[in-house]
Amino acid sequence: MNAIWLLMGLLLLSYIGSLLVGGRAIRGMGLPSGAEYVVLGFILGPSLLGLFDRATLTTFEPFAHVALGWLMFVIGVTFGMTGDRRVRTTRLVGGLFVSLLSGAAVFAAAWLFLRFRSPLAPTDRLLAAGGIGAAGAETTRYAVRWVASRHHAEGPVSDLVNEIAESDDLIPILAVALLFALQPPAVAFHLHTLGWLGITVGLGLLLGAMAALLLGKTFRLAETWGVLLGMSLLAVGTTERLGLSSISALFVMGVTLSALSPHRRELRRILSPTEHPVMLPALLLAGAFTDFSLAKYLPYLVAVAIGARTLTKGVIGLGILGVAPAARRAGPRLGLGLLSAGALAMSIGLAFALRFPGPVGGLVLACAAAITLFGELVGPAALRSALSRAGETRDDPPPEVAASPIVPATTSTSTPLPTVSDDEGAVT
Amino acid sequence: MSGGPSAPKAASTRLVQALVLLALFGLLFAATRLVPELESQAGTIGAVGFLLLTGTLASELVDIIGLPHLTGYLLAGIVAGPYVLRLMNHHTVSQLTTVNGLALALIAMEGGAELKIDGLRKSFRSLAWATLLQSLIVPVVMTGVFIACKPMIPFLGALSTSAMIGVGLLWGVLAMTRSPSATLGILAQTRATGPVASSTLTFVMTSDLVVVVLMAAALMISRPLIEPSSTFSLRDLETLGHEVLGSVALGTTLGLVLAAYIRLVGKQLILVFLALGFGLSEMLGYLRFDALLTFMVAGFVVQNLSKQGPRFLKAIGEMGSVVYVVFFATAGADLDVPLLQALWPVALILCGSRAVVTWGIGRLASRLADDPPVMRRWGWSGLISQAGLALGISSVVARAFPSFGPGFRALAIATVAVNEMVGPVLFKLALDRSGETSHAPRPSISTLEAAHEMVEAAHARAHPHPHPHTEALPAEEKPT
Repeated sequence: MNAIWLLMGLLLLSYIGSLLVGGRAIRGMGLPSGAEYVVLGFILGPSLLGLFDRATLTTFEPFAHVALGWLMFVIGVTFGMTGDRRVRTTRLVGGLFVSLLSGAAVFAAAWLFLRFRSPLAPTDRLLAAGGIGAAGAETTRYAVRWVASRHHAEGPVSDLVNEIAESDDLIPILAVALLFALQPPAVAFHLHTLGWLGITVGLGLLLGAMAALLLGKTFRLAETWGVLLGMSLLAVGTTERLGLSSISALFVMGVTLSALSPHRRELRRILSPTEHPVMLPALLLAGAFTDFSLAKYLPYLVAVAIGARTLTKGVIGLGILGVAPAARRAGPRLGLGLLSAGALAMSIGLAFALRFPGPVGGLVLACAAAITLFGELVGPAALRSALSRAGETRDDPPPEVAASPIVPATTSTSTPLPTVSDDEGAVT
Repeated sequence: MSGGPSAPKAASTRLVQALVLLALFGLLFAATRLVPELESQAGTIGAVGFLLLTGTLASELVDIIGLPHLTGYLLAGIVAGPYVLRLMNHHTVSQLTTVNGLALALIAMEGGAELKIDGLRKSFRSLAWATLLQSLIVPVVMTGVFIACKPMIPFLGALSTSAMIGVGLLWGVLAMTRSPSATLGILAQTRATGPVASSTLTFVMTSDLVVVVLMAAALMISRPLIEPSSTFSLRDLETLGHEVLGSVALGTTLGLVLAAYIRLVGKQLILVFLALGFGLSEMLGYLRFDALLTFMVAGFVVQNLSKQGPRFLKAIGEMGSVVYVVFFATAGADLDVPLLQALWPVALILCGSRAVVTWGIGRLASRLADDPPVMRRWGWSGLISQAGLALGISSVVARAFPSFGPGFRALAIATVAVNEMVGPVLFKLALDRSGETSHAPRPSISTLEAAHEMVEAAHARAHPHPHPHTEALPAEEKPT
């Protein structure tokens, strides 16, 4: 397929993504994880129909780098926030712990499997297992929002799950930074892995601080877009040149900007609506890059990774029931409700595929895609069931929601969840 | 463009901008020296971001001494480019030129949308005189100057007299080209309104069409003069007719479709422009239509045959504020500084004589058209800049005449470099002196929101129930 046609297709997807954010007519349409776009990319890509070949995909690598970087930047700016409210510290720590536990378990299982069943060299094995672990760490916040939005969920359990999902991105993103630093660029001097990790994080901090300085005290929209785009592209270009993790640097940049700039609310308001238009084409590209015929042992690796993730999430769910009395009514399915994966997992997979073309990147991306698809099958249904059991879902939308495109202020003590559609950028 | 006339910024803000500019140069300098491998996509991505940031910052800093923002963009590109600090190499710069298709589409649509039938009617007499005289006299005089400079131009040494006339003719037409992008760039920055601003824009946009036609004619006439074995052929005119008519027809259709889209949907114009800038530009190249003309007609149709002109221009302006910075900074990075060093004496003579002729004809045309005094004094100032079209024509000549074409192109690049640097400064000076530059500060979000609150309050007083459409809009799109 001609590169221009692929570009037009990606722009069309981006357009659809923008409608999903801004349109009320198709509120709740599509799958929560965006897995259908991964599947579409896989079907159209070189592994199946071959409508676009690998050479065409290669020409789109810069677009993929930029899309992933931008996504992570937006996630960074909104990290630890639910709507306009900060996630409570205990839940932030809880989210970090949940992702650390899930990621570590998936990493350990994948590493053990690769140790005995694959011909990969030790460093490659570590990279592949680490990447799979990072991809398996998250619970996608989109799924939680989607369930909440579609089933009008509101209450302490919805709140808890949402806050965990909003704060579990840090660990996998930092893990990716560390893993990329294991294979530094060929430079004249030697620097320890932690040094390269420091450069990745430091670059994000520096550019985020510079962006905050440039935005200054008065928020001017045109200047803001120039600064944000410029800093993001510069961060992507610099980290990719050094062979470091651009998604990690951009995430740190977003967190730093959000922390330092007095315009954090305005930034979230203008950046959130860009998430979907960038994410859908990125998911399609990730699907197109995915190759399940990479290795004979891949299906077993996928099974091991998914098994470890399911088991860990189940245990985590039981743990939550133990420590949060309010969640007990949700029952043991709550853990399975955390299985949804999506944008972050696929972004990590695609980032690995671009940085380590060959078995390492291919394995991570294939596992990320499988984790996303499995999560889609199990996660939202289990979460809906758990929330329903906790008595937090409603069959009919509350009258205010039906009447207005904007999520109304609520009188309950819990925070209304940001909905999937038009409210993210406008009002929460 | 970034910024525009905004509220004066404090010294501390300028200091921060200067420091960040230095830090950015330092950062990319370190990265390029650490990993010198530049022919990668990462280099291109980083270069776009770098040029966007440094171009914007440099434009803010040159604004202190009254220079146009465009000069800042160009300077940032020149300093970062392959001839000064070498923060990006030729490969990266050539990759960056892919943004040109998008930038030119925006420039042409904006230019077309700025042409209003009422304005054209009012300034018809002035436009007609200027077009007639500039199209007749500039090529003739510049052909003579070019031939007179023969001893200083190495690639003309072996040519016969008739061939010299042929090459001179091509140069004469090239000297007629103006720069819509530079004109729009300065107008976007200054937000100038008045006779100088409007007549310059009208002339520059229409002169592009004249140049395209005259260039085809010049090629047709000069070919038998340069290559005695070839014969006079009208085939070029046939091709030209196809190109012009096809472009106008497609542009009209596109304009109507765009107007309908804006009216019925009105969302995500940025994505639509991206599709046009990359996708449709590619298709136009395949069809051998003129992209500039097509997009210009589209913009003209949206503005004059629908009520969507203001929204259309606003959307282009928002996107252009980012795209133009990269476009001009890339042009700066692409500037062949060593070539300019080698050819500067002849380039200076050619540029100087072009400027003098343009000035003289401008005054004459204004007198004949009975323009107001401000036009007689400053009407010529926006016609000095040259950019993309001149380079495009030089590339056509280089391909058509391989014997002297590369030398011709090199000289064209050198003169365009001079005009590209001097022209915008002159035009901005003229707009400032003629009092057409807007001094109202650009609205910031805080002022927009304050205005919005006032409107909301007034609206609430008038209508107790909220207006659903207004509420659904993001803040920046709300009426103020």
